[in-house]
This record gives sequence, C-alpha cells and structure tokens, in this order.
Amino acid sequence: MKLDRRRFLGSSVGVAATVGITAEWVWPKHSVSYRRPRSAVAVLNVDEYSEKVEALLLDGLRLFRLKVLGRSILLKPNLVEDLPGPVNTSAILVGAAARSFLRLGAARVVIGEGPGHQRDTELVVQSAGLKPHLSERQIEFVDLNRDELRKVKLKANYSGLGELWLPRSVLDADFVVSMPKVKTHHWAGVTLSLKNMFGIVPGMKYGWPKNLLHWSGIHESILDICATVPIHFVIADGITAMEGNGPLQGSARQLGKIVLADDPVAADATCSRLMGFNPLRVRHLSEGCHFLGNLREDRIRMLAEGVGAPTRPFSVLPEFRYLFAAKS
Amino acid sequence: MAPGLWSDRISSLAETLRSRQMKSGGWAYFDSVQESLEATCLAELALAPEKHANSSVAIRFLLKAQLSDGGWPAFLGDSDGSWTTALALCTLNATGDFAVARDKGFRWVYAERGREGHWFWRWKFKTADLNVRFDPDKYGWPWVSGSASWVIPTAFSVIALKQFTACNRSEAPEKRIRLGVEMLLDRACVDGGWNSGNSVVYGVPLRAHFEATAIALLALQDERRSELIQRSLAWLKKEVARVDSVSSLAWCILSLFVYQESVEALKNRLATIMGDGRDIRNNATLATGLLALKCGEMIHPFVVLR
Repeated sequence: MKLDRRRFLGSSVGVAATVGITAEWVWPKHSVSYRRPRSAVAVLNVDEYSEKVEALLLDGLRLFRLKVLGRSILLKPNLVEDLPGPVNTSAILVGAAARSFLRLGAARVVIGEGPGHQRDTELVVQSAGLKPHLSERQIEFVDLNRDELRKVKLKANYSGLGELWLPRSVLDADFVVSMPKVKTHHWAGVTLSLKNMFGIVPGMKYGWPKNLLHWSGIHESILDICATVPIHFVIADGITAMEGNGPLQGSARQLGKIVLADDPVAADATCSRLMGFNPLRVRHLSEGCHFLGNLREDRIRMLAEGVGAPTRPFSVLPEFRYLFAAKS
Repeated sequence: MAPGLWSDRISSLAETLRSRQMKSGGWAYFDSVQESLEATCLAELALAPEKHANSSVAIRFLLKAQLSDGGWPAFLGDSDGSWTTALALCTLNATGDFAVARDKGFRWVYAERGREGHWFWRWKFKTADLNVRFDPDKYGWPWVSGSASWVIPTAFSVIALKQFTACNRSEAPEKRIRLGVEMLLDRACVDGGWNSGNSVVYGVPLRAHFEATAIALLALQDERRSELIQRSLAWLKKEVARVDSVSSLAWCILSLFVYQESVEALKNRLATIMGDGRDIRNNATLATGLLALKCGEMIHPFVVLR
C-alpha cells in the first residue's frame, strides 16, 4: 500500500490518540477517588472579623454533623508572609475554628503551616496575630516546614514527582481542615483549599519557596498532593479576600463570606463562582473534579444560602482573563 | 540588661541547647527523632568554641551523615544532597580540620547550580517567561537540585566556597563565586535588601526579608561596598528595630556585626526575648540566637577573610 502524506498524518494522529486513551486506561493518573454522589456546602454571610465569627462558625459547622468526637484535627490555614493586607487567613477565624472543633468534641487541634516564602515561621505567626489563640491547652501550632518527615508515595501521578517527604503531623491527623484565604494567584489563577495544601510540603527539604513544585507544574503538584493527603473539610476565609495580583500584592476585596464544605473541589468551585470565575477553567479543578470531589452545581447541596451572582467579578492579571466565564 | 549579664544568659542558653542534643550527636529542629542538618550545624557552631572540635560527637555525626557524592541531606534519612551542604561545609571550615570531607563537600557545592545554569532554561527565561525580572545568566544555588537559584542557598554556598578557598583560590572556584555574587546583586530588592529570590514580579517590587537580607549581606561582606550593598545595609539597620522574632533578629545581629555596626542594644533585646531558651522549641533558632549573643566573643562562623 502506498502511504501518502495525508494518510500518514491521519494514521499518526489516530495512533497517538489511541495510545493516549489506552495509556490513561492502563496507567490511570490517580489511584484514589474521594468523590461522592453529592457534597455539601454552606456559604455564611459575615461582614467583618469580630467576636461574632465564632458563634456563626459553630452554627455553620453543626449543619454538617461532623464526626470529630475524640479525633485529632489539623487546621491548615494559609499563612504566607508578614505582609499587610489580606494575605493570610484571619487569625480570628483560625482561632474560632480551633475552639469550635474542641466544642464539637475533638480531642486536640493542631494548627499546622509551612509558610512558602518566609523562612521565619515565628515572624509570620506573630504578625498574623495567631499567638493569642495558641494559649489554650489543646491547641498547638506546628511548623510544617520543620516537622519530622516521612517519605510518601503519591497517590496520583500528574507531576511526575512520584513521592514526597511529608510532615508527620499531617500524616497522623485524623481530620484535615484546609483553611484558605480566598485569593487570586499570579501563577495558578486562584488559591483556595486545594492550592493551600502546598503549605504542607516541608521547606527544609524543598526550600522557600517550594520551587520544585512549580517546576513540576503547579496544577499537577496540587492534584498529586491532594490525592495523597485528602482534605476532609474546608473553611475558606472570604470575608476580606484578595483580587488582582495575588497572592501577595493584590488588592483587598470585601466579599463578606465564609465558605464551609465537606469537599474541597465543591468548596473551591463555590469560591470560584463567588469570585465570578468559571471553575472549569481552573485546571486543577477541571481535573480534580474527576476524583477529588464535585464541581457541578447539581452535585452540590447548599446547606445555607446559594452562591448568587457577584456584583462585580474579581479583577485578575491579563493572563487570567480566561477565568471569567459563562456559566460552568 | 547590662552587657555584663550576657555570660550568665549565654551559659544557660548553651545548657538548654546542649540538653537537646540527640544520642547520635545531632539535633532535630523540634522534639523529634529526625536529625536536622541545619539545626545540627548551627548548634555545633554555637557550642563548639567551648570544647575541642575533634572530640565533638556532633562533628562525628556530620561526618557520618555526609553522602557518598560529598553532599549533605537536609535531614538524616534522606539520600539527596541539599542546601545544607554549604552549611555543613561552613561548620567543618570552622574546625580547620577534616580535609577529605571538606574537599568532597566543596566539590559538591562547586558542581551544584540553579536550573538556570542550563542554556535551555536561560533561553526560556529570556524569551518567553518574562513575568519575573531577573538576569538568568547570573545564577546561583537552589534549595534542592532541579529547581531555580534562590538567595539564601546561594549566600550560604558563596560563604562556604569563599571560606574553603580563602588561602588558595584557583580560577574555577573564583568564577563560580563571582557568578553567585552577581546573582545576589541582580536579585536585590528595589529598596535594598533581599526577598527569597525575586525582586520584581509582574512589575511589582517585592519587600525584603530580614533573614534573606542578613545572610546575603554576610555573603557579600568582603565585596566592594557598592551603593546597592550600602542601601541594603541601611535597610537592615533601619528595619531591625521592628523585629521581635528570635531567628530574624539573630541573623540581623550576625550580619550587622561583620559590617562593624553596633549590635550591643540588639543583643540586649535578643537576650531579653530569648530568656533562658526553654520556650524556644526550634533548636536551629535557639542556636542562631546563641551565636548572635556570642558575637564578639568568638570567631564569627560566617566571617570571610579578605
């Protein structure tokens, strides 16, 4: 048979597609699935950081009937730098969450973070105002950049990293709560509960910043980390959020919301919608919704109010205008 | 606190640090079973002048922890050489002994480079990836192999190479040191000082960090006092007034001291914050604080002889 150029090209594309589909089937990119038929989300309206946050949060958490009795809870806030502005998860919210979980019967609460840029964790904890909240007996802070490490085989293979050294405090926790600050991000588009898990990767091994994850692909690394360390619950700080050139140099944006969810993809999809973005255009969400949780609105049960339309979408750097979207 | 009270404070801090040494001779960062090379090197540097180096179990630990390729891992149990190799080399440099281990460590540091060291990535950063303002031709050292150059590992590596080759520096290490120094100068923040590695991202200047600035200045202590170095020193002198965390304050003192700035008041403040050290759970922080309080009373471990 004579093989002309057109036939050769057509055959090549066909073979490549077949190999790709077969490879995905033979060697799937993830070995776990945390996706359930439906997920639950509650969007709480909160105007400001005040003493009222704790009562509101406790009521919100009770909607989920969480099984935390006698369990060890890891709260993973987003503490990045000692910078002014809405860079870090509010210490008021973190403290309120810690006390709320103790009131719900948790045996102990560990607040764990490994700041990604600033090596002096004490400086970040001090400037974030977290210290007063650590005075209670059962609330402890762990510097995840310098915790004891164990080598862990990753349960997804998007980044090609294969394995990571991860902190014992994270691996030993019974119940992991991601507490992101709702922000835009100049490399990933958004930084929400899934991206927040970069903070569990230890700086002492991978540096400040954890640049190896960037070289391995931010979205890919997020998927691998979150497949390996499942997030059981999300408390997203969207009271004062950040838009524009986040996660450090953006502008404050008063959103007035706390987002609670029993599924990180549902949480991040909801936050994205609140920001005026199409969650399907955030790569780690469009892929993560196949195994980390639910993205589609018809799979998300709203326990409090609905998302509604934002009055004005969050501003983004020009490179991320594709996030604005028609409905997902 | 009068300066005369320091010695009491120093001995109680040293005692606290010594009590946390593990049977292996190393130190963990916190209360764990995993020795950290950073904590061990800083603790050894802080405690070594009180004893003969050869007898130090910490030095024996360091020698045992060295990998076959000459590098040191970030923590015991890891098999990859890391940024702590430069710190381990500085620690052995302070003993003036252990030539074989130091030579292997030197060769590892000399060969390591940030990913911009490869022409392909330099080309990419020059043509396609322009959001971060820097000169990719000027590359230093990464935290971990396979990633880009950053300020702190570059600064420690420059110090380690300068110390190791102080008496006999050939052309090749001189070139490598120059490249590292140029990288540091290139990455300085607009208002002086250093962030973790970038100075301007998406057109926005980043703010300097205390530790990165202090350690970068240590690496540049023997360089010509350019306007940039003066500006960075001025930034550190001005901003140190608002530092209340032990680690940042200690690095500021260690750096300002080699630039012959007065650190008496800062040492008083540090000693007050540190107390007897029992509340400082991080052993690397405790050791750095102790080193800073000992400034002027021992040979500075990061000094570079001209």
